[in-house]
Amino acid sequence: MKLLLIEDEAELAKSIQEYLNVNDFVCEWVSNFSEAINKISIYNYDCILLDLMLPDGNGFDILTELKKQNKTDGVIIISAKETLESRIEGFNLGADDYLTKPFHLSELLVRIQALIRRKQFNGNNKIVFNEIEIDILSKVVTVNDEIIDITKKEIDLLLYLIGNQKRVLSKAAIAEHLSGDMADMLDNHDFVYAHIKNLKKKLRNSQCGDYIKTVYGLGYKWQNE
Amino acid sequence: MSKKLLHKTQQVYLVFSVAIFIVVAPLFYFFSQKFYIENTDETLILYKTEFIQNSISKLKENDIAVWNSYNTRTQIQESIGLKTDSLFYTTYFNQVEQENEPYRELNSPIRIQGKLYTFSARVNLVESEDLMTSIALLFFILILLMLLGLFIITKKLSLSLWKPFYKTLRQIEDFEINKKSQPQFSATKIEEFNRLNKSIENLIQKNIVIYENQREFVENAAHELQTPIAVFKAKIDTLINRSDVTQGQSGILSSIIKSIARLDRLNKNLLFLSKIDKNQFSETHTFSIKELIENQLDFFTEQAKQKNIKIKTNLKGVCSINSNIGLTEILISNLFLNAIRHNVKNGEGEVNISLSEQKLEITNTGSLEELSQKKLFNRFSKSNSSEQGNGLGLAIIKKIADLNNWEISYSFSDNLHFFSVRF
Repeated sequence: MKLLLIEDEAELAKSIQEYLNVNDFVCEWVSNFSEAINKISIYNYDCILLDLMLPDGNGFDILTELKKQNKTDGVIIISAKETLESRIEGFNLGADDYLTKPFHLSELLVRIQALIRRKQFNGNNKIVFNEIEIDILSKVVTVNDEIIDITKKEIDLLLYLIGNQKRVLSKAAIAEHLSGDMADMLDNHDFVYAHIKNLKKKLRNSQCGDYIKTVYGLGYKWQNE
Repeated sequence: MSKKLLHKTQQVYLVFSVAIFIVVAPLFYFFSQKFYIENTDETLILYKTEFIQNSISKLKENDIAVWNSYNTRTQIQESIGLKTDSLFYTTYFNQVEQENEPYRELNSPIRIQGKLYTFSARVNLVESEDLMTSIALLFFILILLMLLGLFIITKKLSLSLWKPFYKTLRQIEDFEINKKSQPQFSATKIEEFNRLNKSIENLIQKNIVIYENQREFVENAAHELQTPIAVFKAKIDTLINRSDVTQGQSGILSSIIKSIARLDRLNKNLLFLSKIDKNQFSETHTFSIKELIENQLDFFTEQAKQKNIKIKTNLKGVCSINSNIGLTEILISNLFLNAIRHNVKNGEGEVNISLSEQKLEITNTGSLEELSQKKLFNRFSKSNSSEQGNGLGLAIIKKIADLNNWEISYSFSDNLHFFSVRF
């Protein structure tokens, strides 16, 4: 998978690159508008991560340029700008997702995965991890071909964990992912524990491997045994 | 106690008029009486002079009885031994009126055919009393009319004179610094009011600039912090994934993660507050509060479970309102979370939500002390500094309520905290 990261903040860009390159992603990075325009006209990307405020131009113009060149690259806007107008304008210009800074890298990763899934599989959305199979559209999870009873939130958590497999996920990151818009108001992340516990129990009850590891003091990790 | 300006003026006028009346009325009476008696005395002397000039030389001693029978006001009596004229008050019984009446009488020694007599002339003072009463009445009416006139004139005059003042006052009262509308003072014909308007305008202008600067500062500061926080967050996410993190380090990392999450939240809330100030939530729809609560209930029940708190709902009304959905959602979820966050730590906790057509009330158990009403809705006012909340929740609630002209109130009774919003 080829990704293009358009971001002027070098330190942030480095971290994003580092986090994403572990997967089967190749993440290229440009830090300004003109370089970005060069890259998008030459190559095709599976996903473009776009910062709106660039030193020599506006991220929206990159979206316009993509449209002009009839490119169908998926675009996730990553911006500190968080207004309804900028969101609407972004989506109108063809962006697929909008992630406000600051975000957790794990959140960015699952958003990229979701976007690529939507772009490539045209609706046939199944995620398989060993004996676990998740149908994203119908929200059905089967373990060893048996449907398990699982809530929407637990599916969300499962996808998040599998999407970020082999990474340590802090409780704060999981809480922010699960609570969505409410995250800014929540100051107690203890509910994550309850969700993890429930999910673990449900998986264990259906003879599923114990993939969810507790990382002492830090959070949780999904790991193949 | 403050009174209206007009009442104050009228009060002074009233006191002044009454004082004048009290002082002048007896003086007026005294002098009128004095002048009247002097006048009467002159009349009596005139009677005597006329008598001496015209009648005394023709009058015989034998005619005295006849004279007396024809004259009622003047009488000639046996001498009572007077040497000079004497003027005095006396009373006579009036046969017609059947009562004693006051008189002024002059007794004067005269000689008729060489023999000493006393000439006496008198004037009835009843008339003078009537006159006095009439004059006093007239005087009273005059004062009353003057007072009334004064009242009406001051009232009319004040109302028209002070009109620009009241207009200005009303505009200042309606002025809110966070709203876009500025008071428009129209020019008046009175210099003082023009000066007043001018200075208020300057004052407001200055304050708006200061307020704007402050708002922009908070917004810019919060905005600029987003990127370093993003870097911070990303670095931590990378760091915790390193395989060489020791147990000791992970303890430190864990508290850094908590702090960065808190910083992030705080910053987002500050940004959010300034966004409300900038009126970025002007889009409105009609929707039902009941539905909104029901949609969020699962999430809050989940949160409440962590602290063993029971949530009871009593949603009687639908409460359909027209407002910005996003903001209303945030108001309600903040109220909810507040009730959960500040609840009792272990078990027995309760949150009651009741909704009528106009009012949402959230009741929760919690600290056994009433919160300070005064500071409750201020930014960063926390009843207890060790609490996790960032001190912006209630400020956000208040801001949203103010924006929509909803009335938000807090009360404390039976160890329960009541927060209510009247839509």
